[in-house]
Amino acid sequence: MNKKSSLEKYLFTIPVIVYSLLLILLPILYVLLISFFKSDSYGGMIYTFTLSNYAEIFNITYIKIFLKSIGIALITTTICLFIAYPFAISLMSKKETTRNLLIKLVMVPFLTNSLIRTYGWIVLLRKNGIINSGLLGLGLIHDPLSLMYNNLGIIIGMVYTLLPFMILPVYSAVSKVDRNLIEASYDLGASKIKTFTKVYLPLTISGAFNGSLMVFIPAIGYFFITDILGGGKIMIIGNLIKNQFLTARNWPFGAAISIFLIIMTLLLVRVYKGLGGKMDDLGGGM
Amino acid sequence: MNKGKFIKNLTIVLTFIFLYAPIIVLVVYSFNKSRMNVVFTGFTFDWYKTLFHNTDLLEAFRNTLIIAGVSTVTSTIIGTISAIGLYKYNFPFKKIVNGLIYIPIVIPEIVLGISLLSVYTIANLQLGMLSLIISHIAFSIPFVITSVRSTLNLLPKEYEEAAYDLGASRFNVFTKVTLPLIMPGVISGATLALTLSMDDVVISYFTAGPGSNTLPLQIYSIIKTGITPDVNALSTLLLVATIIILTTSAIYQSRKIARRGY
Amino acid sequence: MKKYKLLIIFVCLLLLTGCTSNKNKQVVNVLNWSSYIPDEVIKDFEKETGIKVNYGTYSSNEELLAKLSSSKDGTYDVVFPSDYMVELMINKNMLQKLDISRLSTYKNIDKVFLKQSYDKTNSYSLPFLLATSVIAYNRENVNDIYDYKDLVREDYKNDIVLLDDERITIGAFLQALGYDINDYNDEHLEEAYEFYSSLKDNIKAFDSDSPKSFLMTNETNIGVLWNAEAILAKDHNPNIVIVYPRSGYALSMDNYVITKGSTNVDNAYKFIDYLLRDEVCQKIIDDYPYISTNKNTSNYSDEELKEILNNGSYIKNVGENIKRFDRLWAKMK
Repeated sequence: MNKKSSLEKYLFTIPVIVYSLLLILLPILYVLLISFFKSDSYGGMIYTFTLSNYAEIFNITYIKIFLKSIGIALITTTICLFIAYPFAISLMSKKETTRNLLIKLVMVPFLTNSLIRTYGWIVLLRKNGIINSGLLGLGLIHDPLSLMYNNLGIIIGMVYTLLPFMILPVYSAVSKVDRNLIEASYDLGASKIKTFTKVYLPLTISGAFNGSLMVFIPAIGYFFITDILGGGKIMIIGNLIKNQFLTARNWPFGAAISIFLIIMTLLLVRVYKGLGGKMDDLGGGM
Repeated sequence: MNKGKFIKNLTIVLTFIFLYAPIIVLVVYSFNKSRMNVVFTGFTFDWYKTLFHNTDLLEAFRNTLIIAGVSTVTSTIIGTISAIGLYKYNFPFKKIVNGLIYIPIVIPEIVLGISLLSVYTIANLQLGMLSLIISHIAFSIPFVITSVRSTLNLLPKEYEEAAYDLGASRFNVFTKVTLPLIMPGVISGATLALTLSMDDVVISYFTAGPGSNTLPLQIYSIIKTGITPDVNALSTLLLVATIIILTTSAIYQSRKIARRGY
Repeated sequence: MKKYKLLIIFVCLLLLTGCTSNKNKQVVNVLNWSSYIPDEVIKDFEKETGIKVNYGTYSSNEELLAKLSSSKDGTYDVVFPSDYMVELMINKNMLQKLDISRLSTYKNIDKVFLKQSYDKTNSYSLPFLLATSVIAYNRENVNDIYDYKDLVREDYKNDIVLLDDERITIGAFLQALGYDINDYNDEHLEEAYEFYSSLKDNIKAFDSDSPKSFLMTNETNIGVLWNAEAILAKDHNPNIVIVYPRSGYALSMDNYVITKGSTNVDNAYKFIDYLLRDEVCQKIIDDYPYISTNKNTSNYSDEELKEILNNGSYIKNVGENIKRFDRLWAKMK
């Protein structure tokens, strides 16, 4: 290799090396390090090695929060799948230009601020909000429904905020399915459900998993949705970490939970790759 | 209309109602006389007037524009260079670097937020605009890399080779051949970085300091302390701006397609 | 490509405006409770002195401590910690000694509020506003309430908002059971959890930032919240009744302090001096009706003040035992 091209090589490779070491590896290693420290009651750290922060995670109180959090994230992911697939398949009956326009329209709400959108849900869901007053006015209910400040509110908020991350990969997978296969399936007398499970699903599984990953993982951490729509009553892992760093002043414990989450995430990514998913497709669907 | 088609249209319509309901509510209430956002008491433009006197909100908006602008440009440049570097060259620990760049995409934002905060604390970096810009660059670069790389993977090698055969310099091949060919990937990466930066709550929440309130953070504190309709007014304006940009880009694209004749 | 150049030019312009406007400008970096000082007061101060106030907010003392300790020294100049947090910050060497001679308005402070246990000589802190927790309820829709125990009733399902603050809310449960607000005995805390379990179905939300909104929009009929929030709710709806719980309530005295590493000490003094003025204090309590420490603007008689101070309790720093509260709080959610 001549001098000029080796210079070029440095020019193109050094930024990514510096970036990944300085802004990704270093921060995570530091969090790993402090997860082994002790905390003092003033929010400082005592620099002695301990595994007690990891042991603390297995306290029944925190296990319950983990399970609840995973439960909420799983329900959110499932609902997103149940919205995204019918929507994507229904879109396929439209012309290509209409489809492209409609997919753009899916994105429009998500270009406005996510907090403002979440706030819009408060106006709809609260006790004397639009949905309750509408239903009361129509005489369909006699007492207002509890639509927010509970798990339901959180799930509505999560589904709403994360839905495009499911719709886009699912739609892109569904649109690549060969139409002839679907018609062949119907010609052979398969029902709609059978066509879906035997033809659509196997062909789009990596898209579905891509979407599920991009919905499930943020759903564990989006503390602002539980804060706003859960009324501060429900804690998910995101709130727990935030509290350790910002109110309980226990950085080492917060760090231990974070490391735990990173490991969990990397395992999920492994499954995704196992299903034939490509890393470059993640998060790039917008 | 047959039954199947009806169900399909209904599915589409219902999904769109779900997607647009909270947005429409915000737009409607931005014209509401009452400040409580409960009952619609009458039509007014007042909130748009108060918006332009709400200096905190406007300053937060300016900060957001600066952070988003700087971080988008920087992360697009670094991301594009990185994608090409990772595509073309072999270097020690390439596998590790390749794995690392996916981490900001997959791990929960809160973990990235606290990791960056921890590093700023040991580096004794004052939290403020700079720490926010660095954070936003940090989480945007991987999205640009993956976006550019997916176009690079589709790029036939022959183009560059043909250019070299015709005697073009390395620099010219890069600027005249490679860059224009990967431009769609660069632009979609930049758009993604811009959108993510403008809307980021979680990472900004941990890495902001005095005088660097961003719009999402400002709105977060407003929502918590009781929202007023001038926030609705601002979001309505932002929504209108978004729609205008999207439609013009759609028109621009369709014209380009028409010109090229396919 | 043209679009790109335009974008870059646009960004450069933004950067330029961003840089030039902040240069050589006098600033003071303030971190304060959310819903505490009206915007107008800040704007007036900026107009009068030409000092730009970088204003940030927090919703608990712990959040304030975390923000201060995770940022570089001198990031913030003036902050407003409550009693026990003042003590903790003094112990952690985070505050600088105040020079009272630099405050022309010092004389406005009512002596009753000076020399409190957390800073006996007022070397580091000066009292600003006193908050007390109270119960507020809408008399149209619920029976008379005198104490926390009255909140445990089946027909108050989903009808209560509590403060999202572990020490105050767990403290209230402890007081309801006859224990001290600062008790951290494990058995007593377990009893407090049982009390919470009996109340759980009635709790609609935990909110410290704007619990008044719940009462004002009829989202709930009952709230355990700060006095100023309750008074604002009552102003909005005259049917709201405010009571000091019989078994006790929390007192929280917020103070002016200047941080150790402050880089804008002069401006910090100017800011505090301004906030202690009579007309400014009046403006503040008009908007956020806490108990002012300014003797010329107090809404309460001396007897009333004495009674409020006698029956309430300050939150105290419990050191390492805070983890017991943390864990109980996580268990509740």
